[in-house]
Amino acid sequence: MTQFLIRRIFWAIFLFFVATIITYLIFWVIPADPAALAAGKAATPADVARVRHFLHLDDPIWRQYLRFLWNLVGHQSLGRSFVNRQSVNHTIGQDAPVTASLVFGGAIFWLSLSIPVGILSALRPRSILDRVSMTFVLIGISAHPVWIGLLLSYFIGFRLHLTPIAGYCNFFTGSPGAQCGGPVQWAYHMILPWITFMILFAALYVRLVRASVMETMAEDYVRTARAKGASQSRVMIQHVLRNSLLPVVTILGMDLGLALGGAIFTETIFNLPGLGQQVITAYNFDDLPMITGIVVFATICVIIFNLIVDITYGFLDPRIRPS
Amino acid sequence: MRKKQMLSLLMLITGVALLVAATTVGVASSATQKASKSGVVKGGTLKLNENSEDFDFVDPQLAYRTDDWSMLYTTSMQLVAYPEKTGAAGSQLYPEAATAFPTVSKDGKTYTFHIRSGLKFSDGSTVTAASFARAFQRILSPKMGSPLGVNLGLQDMIVGGDAFLNGKTQTLSGVIAKGNTLTVKLTKPNATFVSIMSMQWFTAVKSNMPYSSSGLNVYPAAGPYYIASRDPGRSTVLKRNPYYKGDRPANPDEIVFTPNVNVDQSLLQVKAGQSDLDIAGVPPTAAADLGKTYGVNKSRFYVGATSCVDYMGMNTVRAPFNNVAVRKAANWAIDRPAQVRLLGKYAGKRTDQILVPGVPGYKPFNIYALKGADVAKAKAVGGAAIASAPTLNVVHTTSSYSTQRAQVAEYNLQQAGFKTNDVPTPATNYYQVIQTKGTSYNFVTNGGWCADYFDPYDYLNVLFDGRSIQAANNNNYTYFNAAGFNKGLDAASALSGAARAKAYAKLDYDLMANYAPVVPYLVATNRYFTSARVKNWIYSSYFGSPYFNALSVG
Repeated sequence: MTQFLIRRIFWAIFLFFVATIITYLIFWVIPADPAALAAGKAATPADVARVRHFLHLDDPIWRQYLRFLWNLVGHQSLGRSFVNRQSVNHTIGQDAPVTASLVFGGAIFWLSLSIPVGILSALRPRSILDRVSMTFVLIGISAHPVWIGLLLSYFIGFRLHLTPIAGYCNFFTGSPGAQCGGPVQWAYHMILPWITFMILFAALYVRLVRASVMETMAEDYVRTARAKGASQSRVMIQHVLRNSLLPVVTILGMDLGLALGGAIFTETIFNLPGLGQQVITAYNFDDLPMITGIVVFATICVIIFNLIVDITYGFLDPRIRPS
Repeated sequence: MRKKQMLSLLMLITGVALLVAATTVGVASSATQKASKSGVVKGGTLKLNENSEDFDFVDPQLAYRTDDWSMLYTTSMQLVAYPEKTGAAGSQLYPEAATAFPTVSKDGKTYTFHIRSGLKFSDGSTVTAASFARAFQRILSPKMGSPLGVNLGLQDMIVGGDAFLNGKTQTLSGVIAKGNTLTVKLTKPNATFVSIMSMQWFTAVKSNMPYSSSGLNVYPAAGPYYIASRDPGRSTVLKRNPYYKGDRPANPDEIVFTPNVNVDQSLLQVKAGQSDLDIAGVPPTAAADLGKTYGVNKSRFYVGATSCVDYMGMNTVRAPFNNVAVRKAANWAIDRPAQVRLLGKYAGKRTDQILVPGVPGYKPFNIYALKGADVAKAKAVGGAAIASAPTLNVVHTTSSYSTQRAQVAEYNLQQAGFKTNDVPTPATNYYQVIQTKGTSYNFVTNGGWCADYFDPYDYLNVLFDGRSIQAANNNNYTYFNAAGFNKGLDAASALSGAARAKAYAKLDYDLMANYAPVVPYLVATNRYFTSARVKNWIYSSYFGSPYFNALSVG
């Protein structure tokens, strides 16, 4: 286990370097000048040069990258935004919980829906339930989250007044300037984003669970269990589900890690001040420190969730438990 | 197994509890309201959305965007300002913190302001001349990393500015504060100096307000409101300044800005009363319906002019637009109504001049085709030069609207006989491409200007004085440079009052009739929709927004 963890940590460090170097290189290749953008209209070349120096953009790219590494390792700092000069650490620290609220809440919703529906569809293929659920899958995969979000907020939020149209409340009360807060208001404001987020993923997961369960049910060991007289529920829980959930866990780990880097569409539609919204703003203004900060955060999330997936695998399937 | 079942049960209960709780609560609202004699109700919370990004800075010496300024105006106390009045009256400067307009020395280089006594910041401390001197210092200090004030050449305008900016001196020698007297020494006479003082950078700040390269988010202010809290990317909350005793309105108890709201969702929120107004306006596609339902400027749907003029630019140092006849031909060829229609209903007023209504010197004229493209006239004016013209590189940004605008313009140019090459360019790179001297573009479709201060100098001199062309970052991205016109600019900028306005009106006409370096097509309007409870709409053409402090939410 220790060896496994050490290997994983080295992989994580390697991935971190690759992700950040690529980000820096892409930024360097883009023919935009953040200093000129920050200096504003009519800035003289001297003004732009002053801003460039202030932002350290007059250094060679390798020195900028080393400074970034040094600040990260030596000061645990991701730097300051080029645009509003706020601390990137602070911004990510503030926005990540919002994205996490969306992603984990949405995951609970989509798993709660997709696992039972997927299993029932697999147990009764071509039944009415199966056909209805496959229609749902088709709609969920085809419809864009922006469209779904707009429809939900129009009908449920605006017409029926059942939920807010958009907006976010902190889980904890007392943050400065917050107009609302607390777990109840938080959940009240998150219902539509969760549902929107759920629809796409639930559609994918229903299909995944259905296919996986059907495949597992055709396995020899399931037939053997049935031949030995095991009850249907025992066969399903002990033999089918345990094995058919392996791919679900894999994909879930990847999806959670990626989504934590920013659920852009859902956050934008519902005005959730999370990382997705932040990354769009940063992109619009060529805000390298912010973009790099979010990339670093997303990379760490993907690495952590991959690790969790690997460990979970061991519990689900002793054959691949790390020795 | 039992543990797993318990965990599942617990998660199920939690989920159900959250759902039940969530669907049984409503949006809380509270407001204490007091009716005034005029019927305007004081009190309550004015809730404002921004479908654009958040303010980049709320520190007055770093903020520069139009939305920054319209918000900061509610908190600011300036030497001179624009009053909360609609129409032309709202574009007439008045001395706000100053007792009168400044006295100017005979050589035109020393301005002396006297500050009214009794003005106070929101923490109860007194506003003095040092409060304004500090603003100058914060704009120019290298410790602020401020790139902004220097764009006006402020370091060259103020005596000692350059040395202070470059860290050679610790004091700004050209700005002297003694008690309630502020003296500003200029390096050379500048007839626009008083207008420049209306910019939000020059608002009073506490004389010990620290330097901060990241900008302060919360600080005492001397205007009707102050920033009580700010959470970048989430909210900015203004509260009434309890020490403000001036005449400016301060109707809501609190003003809350929420940024980054999707434009369609924002409209729904305002319709539902969950928000009072989106300060970035309504979706272009919604304007027609809103106008039909509520009327224009009658109740909840408002349309107001801005200080912005939109134009297309021609590179006057490259063929074919180094030929004035070809530039005039392009002015005849472009379909101005079609361009305005792309922005939806009530998007603005067609124009073929640079100055906009409200700016001194604005005198409407009509040289080119305002009612639609006149292809025959374009061909006649351009003559053989069009047929022999090289293919035009038409540059535009990649947003859907910019692309549509370029498509229409290119169609018009092709109808007149030009050959075009479409050059979509990302917005982050666009200005770098067109503002660099020697650029290969011929025709740009994304161009325009909004006033920093309401003076014709800020349009005609800033945009078309060819002597200001530099290696990069040119506002004059038509690279227009005509000695005769420059001379006229110099003469007009030295004048004041009616003579100045008359001289600039002539230059405005002269520019388009004789040189035509641009194709102006739109004086843009902003379109706003308010919740049912919003009253007392007073619109500022300068900021292109209502005065938030005047809005009543009773």
